[in-house]
Amino acid sequence: MKTDRRKEHKFILRLSIIACLLFLTGCWGKREVEDLAPLLGIGFDQGEKPGTFLVTEQFARPKKDSSSGAEIEDRTFSVEASSSREAFEKFSKVAYRTPFMGSLKVIIIGEDFAKSGDFNNVLDFAQRYAEFRRSMYIVLAKGKALDLLNLKLRSGLLPAMAIKSNIEGGDEISVFPTVRLGHYLTILGEKSTAPIFPVVESVKTGEGVEYKTDVKDEAGEIRIQGAGVMRGDYLADFLTDEESKGYMWLENDVVHRLINTVDLEENSIKFGGQVIESSTKYKVKANNDKMELQYKIKTSIAIDEIMGLKKQLSGPEWVELVKQAEKDFAKVIEKECNSSIKKERELGLDFLGIGRHIEQKNSKYWKTIRDQWEAEIADFPISLEVLVTIHHSGMSSSSATNSGGEGQE
Amino acid sequence: MGTTFLPVASIVTGVGGRDGWMSVLPGFAVGIPYCLMILSLSEQYPRKNLLQISAAVFGKWIGNFIGLIYILIVAYLGGLLLGQVGDIYQASIMPLTPLWVFFLGGIFLVLFLIKSGIEVFARFSEVVFPLIVFALLLNVGLSIPRIEQGELLPILSEGFKPLFLGAIKVIPFVMTYMLFLAGVIAFLPTGKQELSQLKKGVWRIIFLVGILDALVVLIQLLVFGPAETIRLVYGLLVLGKLVEVSRTVAGVESLFLGVWLSAAIIKIGSLFFSVIWGLESVFGLKGVKWRHAIAVVFLGISFRFIRGPALITEIGLVDEYLTMPFVALWIPILWGVSRWKRGAGN
Repeated sequence: MKTDRRKEHKFILRLSIIACLLFLTGCWGKREVEDLAPLLGIGFDQGEKPGTFLVTEQFARPKKDSSSGAEIEDRTFSVEASSSREAFEKFSKVAYRTPFMGSLKVIIIGEDFAKSGDFNNVLDFAQRYAEFRRSMYIVLAKGKALDLLNLKLRSGLLPAMAIKSNIEGGDEISVFPTVRLGHYLTILGEKSTAPIFPVVESVKTGEGVEYKTDVKDEAGEIRIQGAGVMRGDYLADFLTDEESKGYMWLENDVVHRLINTVDLEENSIKFGGQVIESSTKYKVKANNDKMELQYKIKTSIAIDEIMGLKKQLSGPEWVELVKQAEKDFAKVIEKECNSSIKKERELGLDFLGIGRHIEQKNSKYWKTIRDQWEAEIADFPISLEVLVTIHHSGMSSSSATNSGGEGQE
Repeated sequence: MGTTFLPVASIVTGVGGRDGWMSVLPGFAVGIPYCLMILSLSEQYPRKNLLQISAAVFGKWIGNFIGLIYILIVAYLGGLLLGQVGDIYQASIMPLTPLWVFFLGGIFLVLFLIKSGIEVFARFSEVVFPLIVFALLLNVGLSIPRIEQGELLPILSEGFKPLFLGAIKVIPFVMTYMLFLAGVIAFLPTGKQELSQLKKGVWRIIFLVGILDALVVLIQLLVFGPAETIRLVYGLLVLGKLVEVSRTVAGVESLFLGVWLSAAIIKIGSLFFSVIWGLESVFGLKGVKWRHAIAVVFLGISFRFIRGPALITEIGLVDEYLTMPFVALWIPILWGVSRWKRGAGN
């Protein structure tokens, strides 16, 4: 018995020594952090040869003379390849650092490439290879992804980081959808819902924004506006700014919004405000022997701006004005939602996820229509109720007006 | 609990769809009568394991035949789970490390634990279990911001059939635990008070583990949706990668993998112990050299399955077509015959 135990001890001791030799000398495939090239953005465009695509990768290179140590410089490459792995092989031949995919913030799909399809094939690497995280953002580029990633932005930010920052600040205005890789894959699994992506575009001076630029005809800013709707692997169409805003209401994605009633022609007094909170609920109900999806949007708004108010208001007038504002804001929201629903019907693509809503609320009924859902989208009854509550009208009851005479009616 | 929390979501959602998560707890609850039967046999045959009890109840030949099947199942499953350690680590966080490092490292840890004896093994499990629970709850809690709208609905749109199908897939996990319990009962006290404590413990632990695993499935369903939950081989690790705290702490899957490794070592260790007890009971083989021989067998099986997909499929097949039917029949029959014999003896 004792000999047995001694033998066992000796064996374990030998095994420990071997294990220490094996495990404590280092790790397989270890990579020092200074040898890594953190990948920030990756763009996909149509390749020149058939079956290839143009991959643009934006890496961060830490600035040597940076005082904080957090400043980074641009290192962007483009190569034509027929697979993502082939593209990385080509990069590795040029770059002296190993690409690190865990830091990837954004995937940009070029417009032509998105229209030509093969979308999911290029994303397979990002969802399969363990270094990637599903929290990265996916956006569509108006034009080429390559051009976006090669922009020299006036902010000094790398385009990939600028896109990330814009998206992450998007809750303040809630006018474009935020799509992470994980969300896109979940939507793909739903089958009846058409995926949607925000659209990023470069903005030259004069294209909606004026700014001073050193190089003529070169964009120094980027903007996220509108969205692109996919039909399977292909980009089917773009949504306008208004249609995207409608999508955000109907999808219950509005956190805060800056909203105004300037485009309403009925009233001379125009309001501007900020959405404080919003929630969208939906029901599937029978209406005249036909099922109907009823949206109910409840939102709270604070008035920050009133234009066209030319007199000092009494207390009751102030209350009435706020009630008018509630109606006007509700009309604006309805208009945005209706334009989005109209687009859904025109495209015959359920990017609003109405089919999923029906399935969630009345799965029995959904089973009867799911096989012909694409045909049903065009005239499936949808109703909308918008309830706006104005919490306050800012720091004053009336606008500043002249005491009379000059400039006053 | 073992290693179930990694594959359970994909397995139950695969058969039960959106309602699969609800089948986890009922599936685990099936283990309760089995545990109670084993404890009742232990009361009747104190300090004997189920193989020795089988030999006493069915006779030596049938008992030894059952023992042989038992040894084959636990050894094969133990080797496959050792192989899974390599598969998980290589696929997730250490892609360039050779598989043999994980196999040898894993078996070394198991041997070390086995050498220390069953009491140290039990204490190790006692220490690790709260860590597993804490890590799982942390993963579930920190994943809440990633929940997708409305993924839970509709509930029971396909009736109760998915729950039944899901539960059938969960039962093999519990049955693997029965294989260990079949051996370890020889070390458990058989006093009336202790037995009543053990019975209470069975209820408590099965519900605790069942609820935890149900939560693990539920959070994956809510974050990934059913199609993705089915597709992801190790969904919990993907969830770990999504965890982000104030944009400073991100990707904590390595922590969960560390916890999972402890759980895997416990499970492989428990199967290793089962092989030892089986060899001792059936063939009278004991001693250090046999432990080393078992380790070699475990390693041999791991090296046989270096292709991840084949390994995962094989574990599923062993669970479903070997472990479940064997335990599902063996224990009730043994318990029934022993009670009948006792009744006839009276």
